Amino acid sequence: MAEGEGGGDKKELEKKVVHTYPLVRNSDMIDEMKLESVEIVVTACEKHSANNELAARMIKEQMDKKFGPPFHVVVGEGYGFEITYECKSLLYMYFAGTLAICIWKA
Amino acid sequence: MHSQVLLAKKLKNFQAYVNAISKKKVSKSAEDDEFEQWQKSRQLAKPKDQLELTDAELKEIIPRVLQSVNVQQPDNLVQYSFNLGEFVPIPPTGNAILVFSHKGTYLHKESDDARKQLIAQGIDPQDLGAAPSVVAVQTEGAAAVKETESEDEEEGEKSEEEGEGGEEASQVPAEGDEEPQAQAAPAAGKKIINQFNFCERAALTYTNPRMSRDTQTIPPPKATYSANVLQWIIYDEYQQDYDEQQLEKERERERREQGKMTVSKPGVKKGTGKVHLNEALQARLFECWRTLERMLNLNTYDYIAKDYRYWEDPADEFREEEGTLLPLWKFSYEKTKKNTVTDILWNPHYYDLFAVCLGYLDFMKPVKGGAICLYTIKNPSFPDYICLTESAVMCIDIHQKYPYMLVVGLYDGNVMVYNIQATCKAPAFQSNSVTQKHSNIVWEVKWAEDLPDGEMNFYSVSSDGKVIHWILMQNEFAVTTIINLYLEKDPVRGPDGTLVKRKACASCVAFHPENPLIYLVGTEEGLIYKCSTTYSTAYLFTYNAHNMPVYRVDYNKLNSAIFASCSGDWRIKIWEDNRHEPLFVFDLGSCVGDVKWAPYSSTVFGAVTSKGSAYIFDLNVNKYKPICMQAIVSKKKYKLSRIAFNNNLPIIICGDDKGSVTALKLSPNLRVPCKPPKKQQHLDQHTLQLMKLEKLLSLVREPTVLTPPPDPAGSTDS
Repeated sequence: MAEGEGGGDKKELEKKVVHTYPLVRNSDMIDEMKLESVEIVVTACEKHSANNELAARMIKEQMDKKFGPPFHVVVGEGYGFEITYECKSLLYMYFAGTLAICIWKA
Repeated sequence: MHSQVLLAKKLKNFQAYVNAISKKKVSKSAEDDEFEQWQKSRQLAKPKDQLELTDAELKEIIPRVLQSVNVQQPDNLVQYSFNLGEFVPIPPTGNAILVFSHKGTYLHKESDDARKQLIAQGIDPQDLGAAPSVVAVQTEGAAAVKETESEDEEEGEKSEEEGEGGEEASQVPAEGDEEPQAQAAPAAGKKIINQFNFCERAALTYTNPRMSRDTQTIPPPKATYSANVLQWIIYDEYQQDYDEQQLEKERERERREQGKMTVSKPGVKKGTGKVHLNEALQARLFECWRTLERMLNLNTYDYIAKDYRYWEDPADEFREEEGTLLPLWKFSYEKTKKNTVTDILWNPHYYDLFAVCLGYLDFMKPVKGGAICLYTIKNPSFPDYICLTESAVMCIDIHQKYPYMLVVGLYDGNVMVYNIQATCKAPAFQSNSVTQKHSNIVWEVKWAEDLPDGEMNFYSVSSDGKVIHWILMQNEFAVTTIINLYLEKDPVRGPDGTLVKRKACASCVAFHPENPLIYLVGTEEGLIYKCSTTYSTAYLFTYNAHNMPVYRVDYNKLNSAIFASCSGDWRIKIWEDNRHEPLFVFDLGSCVGDVKWAPYSSTVFGAVTSKGSAYIFDLNVNKYKPICMQAIVSKKKYKLSRIAFNNNLPIIICGDDKGSVTALKLSPNLRVPCKPPKKQQHLDQHTLQLMKLEKLLSLVREPTVLTPPPDPAGSTDS
């Protein structure tokens, strides 16, 4: 029983860890594009960690430049959405443990 | 009236003019005959009403007389005046006849209008010097010509008479008009544009015909997606992903391990395709047979399964402080009937699976060969896995993390590691029987926690007095001797005169559940040494425990300061860490093969004796007697050798010296949970169990206070 308790404590400790790595939740982009997009998002969100608006703008501009407009970007900690997107252009990911980023083209 | 008269006069003038022209024509025709002749040859078209004149008439010359009086001018024109009611004579009109009137655009440069115009054009009137005066003169001259033309009646008549000449004369001054202007323009430094002298040119190019053409492309494919972003969702997703990653890592590692195993597996035959096919077919058939076997077993042992699940001994309610063991299944394997069960162990992962080691303990009647059998309680008739070995198997341990990794110690001093997931036929690792092995029976093996870089490792103890640490490398062991168990006695003199330090023969080992460095070694001399893996020469503590070989040392599952030992001197002793004297001693009247603490209670332990009886003690219930003593097998024929508690189920298994294992169910009295005291209802079972044990210990510790022992006991209390 002592062992069981120990295990429980360990689990609790583990749970407290907040993961910050980029986690792609849903994407239908081709792998190369996805990788590049994730990189763009990571760079932007790290640069503007305190200002989601600027981060979103930066992501959008870079995406437009790289893959052609018009891209739409949402960066935030709490929101809901229902979007119609052009196939092969959706990326929905989490970053830094609290941010959800949705990128699509329409 | 007056206008009619005028018209009549004009008509008359015109006739005169026409006559003049015709007369001239005649004179002209007379001049060149050739032309006349050429003309005569043609028939002249004449109007019908033309007056026919004779030649005489034609040749008649009508004389014309010029007078100073205009005969055509009436001198007695009257007009009727309605005012006076009579004709009133009109004064004579004079001789002037207006032939042509034109309003000029010239201005006198000195006039006010001209000045204004110049200023409007941005020219200073003062600047216009001598040269423009010529213009003025010219313009004056032109004006004068006009005046003369219109003024004089006589001259007017003349111009009428001459006709052509008049016209020509009028052209000359017009041309003269232009010239002075052209001259004047450069002098003024500015070209005055002739507003009448221009021509308009336009060209219409070919216009291309237009047509409209439309195409509609297929729009790019679209899809919809929706999600909600909430902090807890993000968190959960991260958790899930992380867990999956960990799992993946684990799998990766396992795959590596398996790869390793197959590499190290000796004698892997590369069969042809047909053989492979055959094997695959056999595997499928085997699977089917196994299912069938289980189904049959379910039917055969249905009543036992029901007992196991539902039967709780109702007599327990009327028996105070006593319980019973209900025999369930009996596991045995035909080929190992002659072997003794030397070790039994539940699988830490699959609660219904247990491993049985088959070797021998009666050294007067050695048995050739040994085996490891893994049984599941779902199939009591036949072992699930069988690993046959050349030598008798004396001990086993199953890895906590990888429940398919088995390490076994053999009678001949070798150790082997089986990966039963890969194969049961051959060990994945085997100690080299020449260079790296124990020189006597391996009595106990224990897996240790994995090394920091993930290598698996285990310890083994043997009768040769060594504790050896084995690390599983690529496909061999790395061996370290942890300790040589020298007896603390004077060395004896050997036959050749050298001094030989005598060694203790280790017979069992137990690792501290909380501190992996500390372990206890029981010896055949009856001593128990407390050692650390970091010291290779000294003992941390020595318990003078028994008079006969110690068969088992086992730490309490809840309080790791307490451990139990059993021995061939019929006794079970309960010890506290660093205390020389045992807390409890129980004499069972025969050789005690095994003792184990129950996982569910801090005060319950079980033991088996060579007389075929199993004992269950609960120190909390009875400090002097077992609460259950039951003969499991026939006293005359069998000896019990080992016992094991299941971690989850109320079941124990006991092994005997005829290679069979009996599973028994503990009756409710044997597994009573702690009742929390009324004031401390909130405490969980774990704390209660610890409290229960502590209370018990405080009772038995008292005597040591009265007769203080040599100190170390005090150090643990602090």
